[in-house]
Amino acid sequence: MGRGTLEKLDAIHRGELSAVENVQRALEQIEKLDKQIKAFIELNPNARAEAEAVDRRIKRGERAGKLAGLAIGAKSNINVGDLRTTCASKTLGNYVATYDAEVVKRVRAAGGIIIGMNNMDEFACGSSGETSAFGPTDNPAAPGRIPGGSSSGSAAAIAAGMCDLCLASDTGGSIRNPASHCGVVGIRPTQGLVPSHGLIELSVSFDQIGPLAPDVYGTALMLETIAGRNPDECTTLDLSSVNYLDKLDVKIESIRVGTSPKFSELTDPAVMKVIDGAVEKLHDLGAEVVEVELPHLEKGLSAYYVIMSAEFFSATRKFDGRKYGRRIEEVCGDEVLRRIKCGDYISRKEQRGKYYQRALQVRTLLRREFKEALDRVDVIVGPTVPKLPHELGTKLSPAEMRAYDYLTSPISLAGTCAGVIKAGEVNGIPVGLQVQGRVLGEGTVLRVMHALEAVK
Amino acid sequence: MKMKIGFEVHEQLATKRKLCCDCPTNYRDAPPNTNVCPICTAMPGAKPMPPNERAVDAVIEIALMLGCDVVIDQPIYIQRKHYDYPDLPAGYQHSSTPIGVNGELVGVKIREVHLEEDPGAYDPVAGTVDFNRSGIPLVEIVTEPDMHSPEEARRFMRQLMLVLDYSGKVRPEAGTLRADTNISIEGGTRVEIKNINSTKGAYHAIKFEVMRQKGLIDRGEVILYETRAYLESQMITIPMRMKVVDFHVIPDPDIFPFIIDRAHVEAIRKRMVETPHLRERRLVKQYQISQAAAGVIVSERELADLFEAVAKQIDPKLTATWFRTRLKKVLNYMKLRAADIKFTPKQFAGLLQMVKLKRVTPEQGELVLRELVKKPAEPEKLLRKLGLAPLKRAELEAAVVKAIKENPKAVKDYLKGRKEALNFLAGKVMKLTRGRADPRRITKLLRAKLRSSKRRKKKRA
Repeated sequence: MGRGTLEKLDAIHRGELSAVENVQRALEQIEKLDKQIKAFIELNPNARAEAEAVDRRIKRGERAGKLAGLAIGAKSNINVGDLRTTCASKTLGNYVATYDAEVVKRVRAAGGIIIGMNNMDEFACGSSGETSAFGPTDNPAAPGRIPGGSSSGSAAAIAAGMCDLCLASDTGGSIRNPASHCGVVGIRPTQGLVPSHGLIELSVSFDQIGPLAPDVYGTALMLETIAGRNPDECTTLDLSSVNYLDKLDVKIESIRVGTSPKFSELTDPAVMKVIDGAVEKLHDLGAEVVEVELPHLEKGLSAYYVIMSAEFFSATRKFDGRKYGRRIEEVCGDEVLRRIKCGDYISRKEQRGKYYQRALQVRTLLRREFKEALDRVDVIVGPTVPKLPHELGTKLSPAEMRAYDYLTSPISLAGTCAGVIKAGEVNGIPVGLQVQGRVLGEGTVLRVMHALEAVK
Repeated sequence: MKMKIGFEVHEQLATKRKLCCDCPTNYRDAPPNTNVCPICTAMPGAKPMPPNERAVDAVIEIALMLGCDVVIDQPIYIQRKHYDYPDLPAGYQHSSTPIGVNGELVGVKIREVHLEEDPGAYDPVAGTVDFNRSGIPLVEIVTEPDMHSPEEARRFMRQLMLVLDYSGKVRPEAGTLRADTNISIEGGTRVEIKNINSTKGAYHAIKFEVMRQKGLIDRGEVILYETRAYLESQMITIPMRMKVVDFHVIPDPDIFPFIIDRAHVEAIRKRMVETPHLRERRLVKQYQISQAAAGVIVSERELADLFEAVAKQIDPKLTATWFRTRLKKVLNYMKLRAADIKFTPKQFAGLLQMVKLKRVTPEQGELVLRELVKKPAEPEKLLRKLGLAPLKRAELEAAVVKAIKENPKAVKDYLKGRKEALNFLAGKVMKLTRGRADPRRITKLLRAKLRSSKRRKKKRA
């Protein structure tokens, strides 16, 4: 929204900008642009009141929190108490959350103001933002084109300056893909770093909540706020807190950056050219660039779809038409239905050992492969999405659509982290560099992105 | 007729908290849908808490009591078992992979013991669901089809209930049992019966099913592989209109698998409760009591505990006799369980001491016992309260004389050789002494008096 996250926070702390003013501006921006962009499904009617409370705290000199006064968008699959958490679906069209997700609690405790619920692909099933039951989102950075998905509304809202930071989620690339298409910054955290209680599942073993932001500072700030163990959850890592901001400015001279020839095999040459340019910049910044082997990278996509579908089928059984509107199969879009049917088939007893177990084997394989590669380098850099975003309304086959996830889903299988930052443009369309880090390597990933951001 | 019967038995575990959330488990005491949270109602996005360790330990202990090998040093998965029913808020039920395997109880092999989660309670008539029960941990025990008659099945179920009761790990209140049974008779097909809620129900359901299947075979009809429901009110089974479902079992990605190590199992084995059949054997040996008495004593864990506490203070054989007969009788009469007993072992030992010293008759002792059960106090005090202070010989003699005098016809009958008349007279004496006299002493004295009066009559004649 005009200035960087750090400057804005300073302005709020110094009293030059009040939380109320900040929220008001965000709401005005939404009012002005969102009919066209469709980044939000629902706005928080209490946002102003919550901002007033933050202002009172700041005025009294109390600790108002890391995110004090910032306007935060929440993806519509993250429960925000008293707001409709629809997953951009008809099934949950009238579902008003009864509780705050753990990350929402943390954001609120840090003084962040949830301004509204972002549009998304229905149940996060999609890579374009077009499967939403509330209509597709436009790309503010490349109008008329898809913003990417499934966190389409979140990335678009950041790109259009409708809010300061977003809580989004990444399963097979849902933060990284729209970050790339919309030219914003985001990170998929290491599996288990951020608590997921309150995140409506697409695929539990891949789902990760993470930030989308206009800059690396905002990304790091949000991740610091939401990361860390939740003792009431089974699958969060045993990590009490993290600190990224302090080391954001540390130079990257000693860093080893890996690239893989696999990337160019799978990627549109125009996109690859921009990526190569970014790698060149990293080299100029003093990073050592080496090649790494990722021999089974392309096997990730189908393994991902198998596991995700089986888990999605399971997760959607609760939408049986008894509690939340209509039965999911009766009202969902094609892509959701396709995944449910696929998951139904895969997890049948007679299919045991054929798909699901083999996909789990690929997962283990990729986990090992990435570990071996990342033992040799600090980060692996490459394209985020193999091609440019298509124009809204273009008909793509399911296979063409899924191909968007070729380069993001392997990281989901590996369970490691990856951030995305704008590397450049092709004909005015943003292209994001994917910076893939080790398990809990977020600090390094953010540092590399920060260094790149500084030379732009 | 050859047949094979097997069971799948579910019992609720007596934990304070549900399996994957912090909600309390006293679902009967709470108004409907008040012991609930986003997790146990499967609100969108709610993630389970780490599984309740007490529930896991309870299953390990039960598995050990059933002679199972506990699965150690390899991951135990909490799985999702999917089916579509109003009582299941998530659309799947949590069910662990086996925790115990290869057990045995009264000759029946236990295939596996694992952890499950109770669904909510669906009322099809009202169309409502109460989720208070949803998420309460269950132990599921699966047997091999090792039973060959309804009676054997009943015997197994009784013993199993007893073991579970002993473990102290399942809910003590009645009606928490849910069992499925499968039956196949020679030349037929395996049929499953659901909805069995008691040992008696299991027996009747199997008996009915055997007759039904035999009838079909005799008529040359084919027995379908199907799932039937037992209707307790009519003691019959009817087909369940249920499609054969695929549970789409997958390991729950929300919950990391856990590993049980040997040291943990051994720690549980050390503190675990002695099983009823082992205890029965020990009681016979240690206290030199009969198998029959020991069998009755171990029928309830609290009864056996009380027995051992009393037998340490006084003659174990006398104690065993009293437990098997009079105590059991009084408890049955008052419809009480041993767990309801409030008196102390010392009070009961005191009573037996009085009996042993012949200060009271066994019959009087029983009267004292009744009071003891009703309102515990020192036996001496109860004795006085009941007016059962020992009778002086003179008083008894006076009563005997009085009875003889007032009932000349009975005396005459007796002297003529009608033995029943003596009982009549003894009853009169009993009444005159308000039950304080020992019946054996009364008859002895009566006989003596009557004999001497006969002699006197003869002399006079």
